[in-house]
Amino acid sequence: MSAITAECVTKRFGGFEAVSDVSFEVPDGQFLAVLGPNGAGKTTTLEMLEGFSPPTSGTLRVLGADPHRGGRAWRARIGLVLQSTSLDPGLTVRDTLALFAGLYPDPRPVSEAIEVAGLGADAITKVGVLSGGQRRRVDLAIGIIGRPEILFLDEPTTALDPEARRRTWAAIENLATTGTTIVLTTHYIEEADHLAGRILILADGKIAADTTPARLRAQAGPATIRYVLEDPGIAPALPARLAPHLEPDGRTLAIRSADIAGVLRELASFAERHHLALSGLEVGPPSLEEAYLTVIEGQACPEGTRT
Amino acid sequence: MTDNANTVTTEAAQAVPARHAATARLPTPARLLVAQIGYQIRQMLANGRTLAIGIGLPVILLVASKGKGGTPDVAGYAAFGLTITAWASYGVRLVAARESGLLKRWRASPLPRWCYFAGAVVATTLTAVIAGAVAVAVALALWGSHFDAGRSIQFTGRSAAALLIVFTLAALAWASAVTAVTSIIPSVEAAFPTLTLIYFPLVIISGVLFSLNEPHWLSTLVSYLPAQPMIDAATNSVRHGAGVPFIPGRDAAVLAAWAAGGLLVAIVTFRWEPHRPRGHAGIRQARPARPDVG
Repeated sequence: MSAITAECVTKRFGGFEAVSDVSFEVPDGQFLAVLGPNGAGKTTTLEMLEGFSPPTSGTLRVLGADPHRGGRAWRARIGLVLQSTSLDPGLTVRDTLALFAGLYPDPRPVSEAIEVAGLGADAITKVGVLSGGQRRRVDLAIGIIGRPEILFLDEPTTALDPEARRRTWAAIENLATTGTTIVLTTHYIEEADHLAGRILILADGKIAADTTPARLRAQAGPATIRYVLEDPGIAPALPARLAPHLEPDGRTLAIRSADIAGVLRELASFAERHHLALSGLEVGPPSLEEAYLTVIEGQACPEGTRT
Repeated sequence: MTDNANTVTTEAAQAVPARHAATARLPTPARLLVAQIGYQIRQMLANGRTLAIGIGLPVILLVASKGKGGTPDVAGYAAFGLTITAWASYGVRLVAARESGLLKRWRASPLPRWCYFAGAVVATTLTAVIAGAVAVAVALALWGSHFDAGRSIQFTGRSAAALLIVFTLAALAWASAVTAVTSIIPSVEAAFPTLTLIYFPLVIISGVLFSLNEPHWLSTLVSYLPAQPMIDAATNSVRHGAGVPFIPGRDAAVLAAWAAGGLLVAIVTFRWEPHRPRGHAGIRQARPARPDVG
């Protein structure tokens, strides 16, 4: 059965429609990333699923119940990390978790939650003196302390440095292997790609694409070959196939092509003729970023577009 | 898998299905309440300075009035310490907890919502009663059990019992009232000025800090506000003789009405979410058509 069902869900704030007629289902155990720019309706959608506010119209079911009417027993089965951190600075990490653990019927041991969140070294540190990344992981530890069946993560890594983001990812990946259904919002395509099995792209409150990282990658277009000429003076000697790809700076070649081998052969023989070392040559993978931007700019997405 | 989840019996709560151990039960509200009270008290002790004002200020005023000579206004100073703890310190703390997102987090947890209130109000009442009791104890140490006011006034065991009840009722009244008021305070910065602006006129017309020659209509008004009945009942507790009640019924009724009324209004108007200028997650506020934000 589905952990989450949304049918024709719309949410209006005054005259502004934050979420417009959105329908989707999340099967048990799936890791769904809801991706979109600021203002796309990600948090509004998530907060409806978490029970903070009812939809203006449409039907929501989370673990079989209407989230806005979900009682204590229902709330004990979901875990969440809000968009902004929400912790008492005066308590230690361990005391904070013990306080929340006391609310659930079968909580995870505090030490285990600390371990999963990668906070082992900070167990007896007061939350107020932790770094932003560490606090986010305390939020995450609170989110999982009750052994939730569904975990909602609202931009858990926004504003974290790359190292802190990796650590948070590792903690989330730990959980995903336990079969917990996870819904994560993010505006980082690489985060959705790294963590999720399915990606829902929201733009202007509507579902712009319902896809997977692999399909998005397949849509991403050709790879890019970049090479900066050591001596711009030889630019006029470029073969006809490469010359049109010279950028306005007169020395950078940026070639997007499906025929990588052909382009490289051409480039290699050109290099041989002019005794170039080809140092700094780059072959970049298809850009997910571009595929994502294409989708949210409203261009047709062949995979499962639903409105 | 969620067959039982929608029934309202405790068996259903117990039978929350899926991966949880089948026998696991939600903790009882009593256990949760005790944990909340402990948490709230720890939170207050962590910010000792907010307590120091309610306990320390009356003591300073009492010591100063000892130097001046004359009869001390013990009931007024005790009321001052108690109300500043139950009103201002607690009100600011509650707004700060809401604006930092803490209340929103609690709301999404399986903690029953009344449990958060009850924990905060009980913990506040405890500390406010302690603030009042410290003022009385200091006055006893400085002036003795007659408070230098002649034989007609004496602090006895009966007085202590009456004061405990009066202080508890008064603390509940002020804490409930401020819980209701916090819903109109948009930020932590606005909390102190808003609460002070209500507090000082009220305690001054009620004669907490000094007596006023009030016009009749004003004394009628203050007899329905929560400060003056508290002072009246506290003063009554040290009088003895025929016709002096244990606690004046009218004073107790006014305080109890404020406690109950404040709580009722609080339950209706209370907001759990921070005010956000961006507003997209603000559930209560209607927002203008601004598709560029959010």
